[in-house]
Amino acid sequence: MRFYGQRVALAILLLLAVSMLTFGALNVLGDPLFNVLGPVAGDVNNPDSIKMIEAAKREFSLDRPLPVRYAIWLSDFVRGDFGVTFSSTGQPPVSGVISERLPRTFTLVAMAQLIAVFVSIPWALITASRAGKISDRISTLNAFFLLAMPNFALAVILKFVFSIKLGWTPLTYVGDDPLGSRLFQMLLPALTIGLPVAAVYQRLLRTDIITTLQQDFILLARTKGLSRSRILIAHALRPSLFSFVTVVGLNTGALIGGSIVAETVFRIPGIGSTLVESVLRNDFPVVLAIVMIVASSFVIINLFVDFAYTLIDPRVRK
Amino acid sequence: MTAEKITSGSDDQGAKKKLGIGFWLCVFWLTIMACVALFIPFLPLKSPTSNFVDATQGRPPYAPSWTHWFGTDKDARDVFSRTLHGARISLTVGFTAITAGFVVGGTIGVISGYFRGWLDRISSFVFVVLLSFPSLVLAILLTSLIERSLLTVSLVLGLLSIAPVGRLARAATMQYADREFVLAARQIGSKDHQIILKEILPNVAIPMSSLALLGMAVAVVAEGGLAFLGLSVEKGITWGGLIQLGSDSSRTLEDAPWISFFPILMLFLTVLSLNFAGDRLRAFFDVKEAAL
Amino acid sequence: MSSHVTDESSTEPLIETVGLRTHFITPRGIARAVDGVTVQIRRGQSLGVVGESGSGKTVLSRSMMGLLPRNGVIREGSIRYGGIEIQHRSPKQMRRVWGPEMAMVFQDPMTSLNPVMKVGKQVTESLQLHLGMSSSEAMAVAEKVFRDVGIPEAARRLNQFPHELSGGMRQRVMIAIALACGPNMLFADEPTTALDVTVQAQILDLLSAQIKDRHMSMLLVTHNLGVVAGYTDEIAVMYGGKVVERAPTKALFSNVKMPYTEALLQSIPRLSHASHSRLAVIPGRPPDLVDPPAGCRFAPRCAYARDLCRREEPELIQAESPDHTFACHFPVGSPEYHERREELSRMPAPLLGRP
Repeated sequence: MRFYGQRVALAILLLLAVSMLTFGALNVLGDPLFNVLGPVAGDVNNPDSIKMIEAAKREFSLDRPLPVRYAIWLSDFVRGDFGVTFSSTGQPPVSGVISERLPRTFTLVAMAQLIAVFVSIPWALITASRAGKISDRISTLNAFFLLAMPNFALAVILKFVFSIKLGWTPLTYVGDDPLGSRLFQMLLPALTIGLPVAAVYQRLLRTDIITTLQQDFILLARTKGLSRSRILIAHALRPSLFSFVTVVGLNTGALIGGSIVAETVFRIPGIGSTLVESVLRNDFPVVLAIVMIVASSFVIINLFVDFAYTLIDPRVRK
Repeated sequence: MTAEKITSGSDDQGAKKKLGIGFWLCVFWLTIMACVALFIPFLPLKSPTSNFVDATQGRPPYAPSWTHWFGTDKDARDVFSRTLHGARISLTVGFTAITAGFVVGGTIGVISGYFRGWLDRISSFVFVVLLSFPSLVLAILLTSLIERSLLTVSLVLGLLSIAPVGRLARAATMQYADREFVLAARQIGSKDHQIILKEILPNVAIPMSSLALLGMAVAVVAEGGLAFLGLSVEKGITWGGLIQLGSDSSRTLEDAPWISFFPILMLFLTVLSLNFAGDRLRAFFDVKEAAL
Repeated sequence: MSSHVTDESSTEPLIETVGLRTHFITPRGIARAVDGVTVQIRRGQSLGVVGESGSGKTVLSRSMMGLLPRNGVIREGSIRYGGIEIQHRSPKQMRRVWGPEMAMVFQDPMTSLNPVMKVGKQVTESLQLHLGMSSSEAMAVAEKVFRDVGIPEAARRLNQFPHELSGGMRQRVMIAIALACGPNMLFADEPTTALDVTVQAQILDLLSAQIKDRHMSMLLVTHNLGVVAGYTDEIAVMYGGKVVERAPTKALFSNVKMPYTEALLQSIPRLSHASHSRLAVIPGRPPDLVDPPAGCRFAPRCAYARDLCRREEPELIQAESPDHTFACHFPVGSPEYHERREELSRMPAPLLGRP
């Protein structure tokens, strides 16, 4: 129990540090006042402007020192109040924007991860059992090529081939479509993110399976007259999954990063594309909220990965 | 006798001790790219910003031809020239970023790994914090707040590589710090900084340098991603930026795929070369993959 | 190949090899791990194969069962099981035999059992595959086999993992796995080497009892002559990839012929020795399998070797009965042997070290 408690405490500490860093960076390196009012913020000679400046300062607590502002923000944040977006007229609350768009990104990342895992496992099993043969070498080369293609480039290529030339998927994401259609529209972006990651997983898993296949208990399994595929799936796979599980968990961060690109290329309104838009608009509350959400997910997932170890390896269970 | 360990085609073993022709092909390509990046002002290229509208061909974009090897974009700018100019920024940023990252991250890593104690705990915590952001998110965050010049963008990406590089350097240092030859050096009275410079650094530098190429590949891809999103060097021509311009609207992508595809090709070949050569070097020096 | 072999009363050997050679292609050359071995084992009979590491005994057992990889291995000679040639059968064909006809017990039960699979499942797996049992039928049989091999609280143990069991119990599990489908031929490859001394005897007793009860044949590979002494009908001594002496157990101990065997016998520590007696050792190292010495392979280390030994390889000849064969030019008891012994006893430090 102590083990779990320590890890959770560390995770919370981490998130606080992340939030302080981000909040500090945004407020010190940027100029919140400018973002709210635009050029008016610098117009200190105009009495009307000054009134607006004062009003803005009060509304957004910009006249208080930085640590106080941080504390205010933090207490709001944990209660779910992410503030209002800065520079849209009508100023919808940030939480509204996020709750609308987060599920899409979540779906996209989940799909990508599922694709990556379910592609990499059979791929690794097959290439491990044929290690060194031609098919294995070709596969390694393919994986290399896949990994050398940055995901935005891959997205453009896939869009060109499947949406434009073949017309199999629509060009833009339509949010009003029924669920099935929406999921289908996410397939191509999910592939964009998921396939390169599958190559990473496959590479690692293949090595681990090959190592496992050298073990004595595999020889014993052979003497029982089991077929090769049964030995691979029932005996070799599970003991090889330890590093795999860790990498899958840790890679979720890369997938989230990839979703930013995929959402931009395929025009899906999720938090990834929103992040980019808000950043270009200097919309701090949105940026801050998204960064915190992303970092939190990352930290929480890493926590789960640590705990998941005990599930896979019965030797660690106590 | 473990007869069953003699299997056919043990894949990694044969390739380990020589770099192979693939490696040298990659080095060749990278050298060409480096020359392009360095000597662009002296190359007989068309201007990357001028418009070469040709009434006889109708409206731009023009497909690849003898006059425009990579074709032109919607504003009739020469894609070939622009792509080569893009190499300049993308490679420079990649190189500067990884160099800064190695220097700073490596130093911090070696020092923490050697001295341990509170210094190590602080730097490890900082590393973990930096690594709790997906790197693209952090890159986006930081580049949005600054004036984006060649130097600043490189430094941001360099900052991002400090944590991974630092962790590696630290792990490598800790491996060596306990070895006999270090203890022996201390016995004969060498001071810490001498030990670090003479005993530890040479041993750590070898595996680290073989990772430099891989690190640069990551930096180039990161810069490409930022450029694609519009967050790289302001007003600079970058591969990511070119790709974005060519794919921004589906019409452009459909009618004139060459605008994006040639930069994609260049980027792909460069990253592939960096990855492949880096991987060969890593196998050559036998660095454990788990360390990455 | 049918799964029912020769009838119980047949005097034909259950398994035999004729001139078996197993050579490995290595970077240094061809390693002749098994270099012309001819043995027979009848039903219900057990053969102990004794030798140092590198003698080829493990390769012999694996060759006979057909477990070696296809690549990098040269196979010659014949292996017959139930009268049928199996030397060149594909793994696919052999898979039907492994389990119901032949099984192997390995040396280290910790690494030979799947660490993440419950031990019960490791038994029921073959039962379900070869005998077509349902999972509940298989579990019942597995529980019975666990009890047969002396695992207490069998039902509970079925659901445990290997790391939850002691070394001796793990080896019992391995034996249970081997016996589950009722094979006729058991290969035991150093089954007790990794165990505590106290547990070794128990496991050997267990094997012995099971062999008798099930009328099985066994090939027991070990480097320890003391192990085979009470547990096998016949013993074959291997050196440098060849069988150098073979006899019924009693005859081997009472009428040893080959000096190497004699040296092995003398190197067994006995309770009757004074404490702190120096252990007898055989000086030198096993021969290089890629480039073995000319003549008798043991000659470089043999105290009784003469020029002939280094020139000509001795053939296997009969001793006092057809069951007892050995390969030596100047065996134990020959005039040359006694002559050399005289010389040695007059030397200050005897080669076969006793205080």
